Amino acid sequence: MLSFNKADLPEKVTLSGADCFHLVLDKHAKKHGAGGNVMRKIFYFSNALEFTRIESLLKSSAIIYWLCNIKLKYGTPVSPPFWKYIDEGREIILLEHQVINESEIPENILNRNITVTSERFIEADLIYYPSGACAFVLSWNHILLDAKGTSLLFEHLNQLSENKAQSFDILFPDIEKKHSIVAHIRNMYKIKKFVRISATAPVSSVAYSATKAGDGKTSTKVISFNADETKQIHENALKSGSRFGPTLYLVACCSHVIHKLNQQRNKAGDLWIPVPYDGRLRGAAGPVISNSVSFLFYRIPQSELSTVLQTVTCLSKQMTEQIKNEIPRKYSMFLKMMRHAPLWLYYFLIYNTNRGVFASFLYTSTGDNFNDLKSLFGETIKNINMIPALTYPPGLTFVFLKHDELLNLNIAYSPEIINNNELVLIEEKIKKVLLANH
Amino acid sequence: MNADMIIAEIKNYIEKNILDKSVHIDAATNLKKAGIDSFSTVEIILFIERKFGVAIPDEKLIPDNFNTLQSLSATVLELMPDTN
Repeated sequence: MLSFNKADLPEKVTLSGADCFHLVLDKHAKKHGAGGNVMRKIFYFSNALEFTRIESLLKSSAIIYWLCNIKLKYGTPVSPPFWKYIDEGREIILLEHQVINESEIPENILNRNITVTSERFIEADLIYYPSGACAFVLSWNHILLDAKGTSLLFEHLNQLSENKAQSFDILFPDIEKKHSIVAHIRNMYKIKKFVRISATAPVSSVAYSATKAGDGKTSTKVISFNADETKQIHENALKSGSRFGPTLYLVACCSHVIHKLNQQRNKAGDLWIPVPYDGRLRGAAGPVISNSVSFLFYRIPQSELSTVLQTVTCLSKQMTEQIKNEIPRKYSMFLKMMRHAPLWLYYFLIYNTNRGVFASFLYTSTGDNFNDLKSLFGETIKNINMIPALTYPPGLTFVFLKHDELLNLNIAYSPEIINNNELVLIEEKIKKVLLANH
Repeated sequence: MNADMIIAEIKNYIEKNILDKSVHIDAATNLKKAGIDSFSTVEIILFIERKFGVAIPDEKLIPDNFNTLQSLSATVLELMPDTN
């Protein structure tokens, strides 16, 4: 049963600056034959979820219905791109799968693409295992939702499951504040200067633009840490100077691993890592739709990669300096302005900043967003995994996800970039460096 | 300047710049639970340094000092020259 009136859904939602950046990444993914800009969240349960109940619940969500009934309208120099709600009565398709190997996610789910021309921008799958356990997979195009938006989407689904009504106001983005063209131009020069200094080549990456992805397949390797190991990692973070959360420590550890890999390939150099920064006000219940992220940009010279402590200090200085100079806010404003640029020009500018190397590697973390999410659809969650949209190059993303006080690391990579021996090196080294006594 | 005044200043800054309007905090609210993350903590540190003219040394940059507005205010008071 519908929990909303279809006619009340917003007819037009303008893409945010970060959404448009993802449009560029979509174009980039197509050009490089990479696996698309699709995010997947996987929830594992010990008990089987009832198919018809989940299907009915998903169909009763206003957000999900809207995501199945929109079309992208490209922008013009005077108007940014937007999603147009065209109520064609399409409902989400929930597919059922029976899989013999416990915890396995079928390839056809992982390889399914959701593009800007797809009819639906969100898809769902329920996988049943012989043990009676099951997994629920939600896949969506990253242009529409970011990591925080997704955690809010699951809260929304939980509220529906408990028959609690939610106002549309918090689900969809507010009308944005307008800035004068002069403010935009001033800001553009500041941010362009900052990015030019921060990102200028040469930086080393695990993949370069000259390389082209093969079949666009994303492979993943999950490393799970137990309670003692998770505690150890948090203590290490604190000891190493990552005082108010483990982010800087985790980025530093990943950087050391990539530096080691690059050294092995005789390609060592400075590292450049954009780290997502949630632009929502803290504690906000929305918006669910649209990307609200900006970035902090870290450049780590080779000379700062001798010890993890040294790297954390280097990152900490850059973080403080960038927050002091409001770089995330300014970058967000810059992205907003870039919505008016033709896509080909936008792509050219992004691509040429660093000769096609978007980053040395990518890092993302769900922070505490999923740590306290104990149940979904009224069923206790056993474990959660996230498969990111793999941007290529670099074709390697470290995804940290904490659930129920246990840390999971998902290494998402393109097999054309990371071979089996290198994956073993990354896996061994990241565990060692995260758990080391620094 | 006393503890209450410091709490009021920091609360005002956090509510205006960091927290969503649906979130309300008081002197004893756990700031992390209210949604304050590492990036926001750095913003608060920069505000304190700017507003109260104190530099928070490394040894004071520990999570215990940033748990609540009360603990933040106690840290600021310790660092303000006229209270020592």
